[in-house]
Amino acid sequence: MIMSEEKKAQTEEKKAAPPRIEPPKVEPQKIQVENSMVEEIKKFLGEDLIEGKVQRPRRIYLKVKPGAHRKAIQYMKDNWGLYHISTISGLDLGNNLEVVFHLNARNIEVNLRAEIPRNKAKIDTITDLLPGSNLYEREVHDLFGIEFRGHPNLEKLELPEDWPKGVYPLRKDWKVPE
Amino acid sequence: MEGARKLVSTFKVPIGPQHPALKEPSNFTLEVEGEYVVNVTARVGYNHRGIEKACENRTYLQDIYLIERICGICSHAHTTTFCQAVEECGGIQAPPRGIYLRTLVAELNRIHSHLLWLGVAGHEVGWDTLLMYVWRDREVVMEALEMLTGNRVNYAINTIGGVRRDITPEQMRKLTKWLKILEERTKHYRNLCLGEKTLLSRAIGIGILKPNVARSLCAVGPTLRASGIKWDVRRDDPYAAYDEIPFEVVTSDMCDVAGRVIVRVDETLQSINICKWILEHLPSGDIRTKLTRKIPPNEVVSRAEAPRGELIHFVRSNGTDKPDRVKVRAPTLGNILAVCEMLKGGYIADIPIVLAAIDPCFSCTDRMLFVDRTTDKNWVWSSEDLKRYSVRFYANEPFPRRR
Repeated sequence: MIMSEEKKAQTEEKKAAPPRIEPPKVEPQKIQVENSMVEEIKKFLGEDLIEGKVQRPRRIYLKVKPGAHRKAIQYMKDNWGLYHISTISGLDLGNNLEVVFHLNARNIEVNLRAEIPRNKAKIDTITDLLPGSNLYEREVHDLFGIEFRGHPNLEKLELPEDWPKGVYPLRKDWKVPE
Repeated sequence: MEGARKLVSTFKVPIGPQHPALKEPSNFTLEVEGEYVVNVTARVGYNHRGIEKACENRTYLQDIYLIERICGICSHAHTTTFCQAVEECGGIQAPPRGIYLRTLVAELNRIHSHLLWLGVAGHEVGWDTLLMYVWRDREVVMEALEMLTGNRVNYAINTIGGVRRDITPEQMRKLTKWLKILEERTKHYRNLCLGEKTLLSRAIGIGILKPNVARSLCAVGPTLRASGIKWDVRRDDPYAAYDEIPFEVVTSDMCDVAGRVIVRVDETLQSINICKWILEHLPSGDIRTKLTRKIPPNEVVSRAEAPRGELIHFVRSNGTDKPDRVKVRAPTLGNILAVCEMLKGGYIADIPIVLAAIDPCFSCTDRMLFVDRTTDKNWVWSSEDLKRYSVRFYANEPFPRRR
C-alpha cells in the first residue's frame, strides 16, 4: 500500500509519543469531601503547602516543604482522626529525593510528600506522632539513605549486615550488577 | 536491642540464619525471665529479593510475574493491586466480566489462605489432626482454582486490562457444587473451633492486643479486626467489584488468638457467599481490554485486602513501557510491631501460636535467640524445638495460671 508522505509522518508520530490520556473527569460532587479537606489544609498550612490535588475519589496528594510535614500530620491527627499510616515510599527524582507518607484518614488515602536534596537527605521522624511508622522509616533509610532525625533505632531493616556503607540500592544511580 | 547485646557474650548458632536446609528464615531475639517473654526484637529481611528494583528494569507485563511471586499464598492479591495500579496509570478500564472474574479468584484465594492458616494453627498447638482434615478440605478449593486458572499456587490469571481466562457454564456448575461442600465443612470447623477445649485453652486470653494499641501500631487485616476494629479495604476503599457485592465485615471483641481464629473462619464463610453471589450475577462480555505498551506518566496508589490484611502498591510511570518506581508494602510488615507487643508478658510456650495468629508471610520463624535476664543464659532454638517445648509445657499444665 502506498502511503502519502503526510500519512507516513502521522503514523510515525503516533508510534513515537505515548498516548496522551486525559485523567477521567470526576464529577465534582463525588470528590466534595476530598476537595474540602484540601481547602482546609491549605488554609492551615498556608505557604508550607506547595501543592494539593485530588486525583480521584479517596486519593489526595499533598506536597509540603520538608519541615512542615510534622505540622500537617499533627493537624490531621487532631482534625481528621488520622491514626493509620499505610507505608512510607522513597522516590528518586533525579535532582532530589522525595519521601511520600501514605496516610489513611476518614477512609481517604492522603499521600503527603516532601522533597529533600540528594546530598543532604535528612528529614524529621514521625514515629512519635505515628508509632506504626517505625519499620517503614527504617526501610526507606536502608534502601535510599534518607536519615530520619529523631528515630529511636535507625538500623538496617532489609539489607544484610555486610552490605557496603553508603551504597543505596534503590537510588537510580545504583545499577543491578550483571 | 542494646540490653540484649550487653547480655549476650557468646552464643552458638549451629546453622543459619540462611542455609539451604532451612525453610523461610527470619530471626527473633527474645528476652525472657523464667517462663515469661519480656521483650521481643524481630529481624526481618532475610527474604529480601530486591523485587522493587527488579521491577524498574522490566516491562509492566514482565513485572506481573515478578509481583506474583512476592508471596505464594496471597499471590493473586499482589497481582490484582499491581494491575489495578497500572490500569489506573494508563486510564485503561477493565471490562465488568473481567473485574468479576478477578474478584472471584481473589475470594477463592482468600478461602484457600484461611483454610491453610487454620491447619497451620492446629499444627502450632500440636493438634495435627485438625491440620490433616482442614487441608483435605482445602483440596476442594485448590481443584477449583486449578480448574479456573490452570495452576494451584501462582494463578497467573491477572493481566493489565483484565483476566486471561474465561469461565465456562460447565465450570460454573461444578464450582457451585464445590462451594456447597466447602460451606458445610467450614461450618463444621467453626463449631469445632468454638467448642473444642484443647484449642480454646491454647487460644483464649493469649496474645492480647488491645484496640488502642492495635490502632497506634497500625496493625492490619484479621489481626486488627479481632480487636474489634471494623476496617476492611474491601468496604472502606472498594476496588474490583466489591462496591457492588453485599458482604459483612467480620470483627471480634476478643482481642486474642481465639478472636483471630473466629474472624478468619467467619471470613471464609463470607467469602463463600461472595463467590456464590458472583457466580449468580456474572456479567457477560469481554474479559480484557487491549492496552498500549507505553503507560503515560502518572502515579497511583492502589490498595487491596489480601488474606493477611491491607496491601498497598505505589506505582509511578514515566511514559515508557517500564515503570519508574514500584513500591510494595506487604501486610505482614504492618503486623510485626503488633506481634512484638503481643508476645510480651506471655509464656515462651505461647510464642508459636501467637506468631502464627498474625498469619505471617515470612512463614516459619526458623531460628530464635532466647536471652534469659534472670539467669544470664542464652540459647538458640529452632521452631521444631520450640513447638516440642510448648506441647510438653501444656501437657503438664493444661490450664496454667497467667500473670
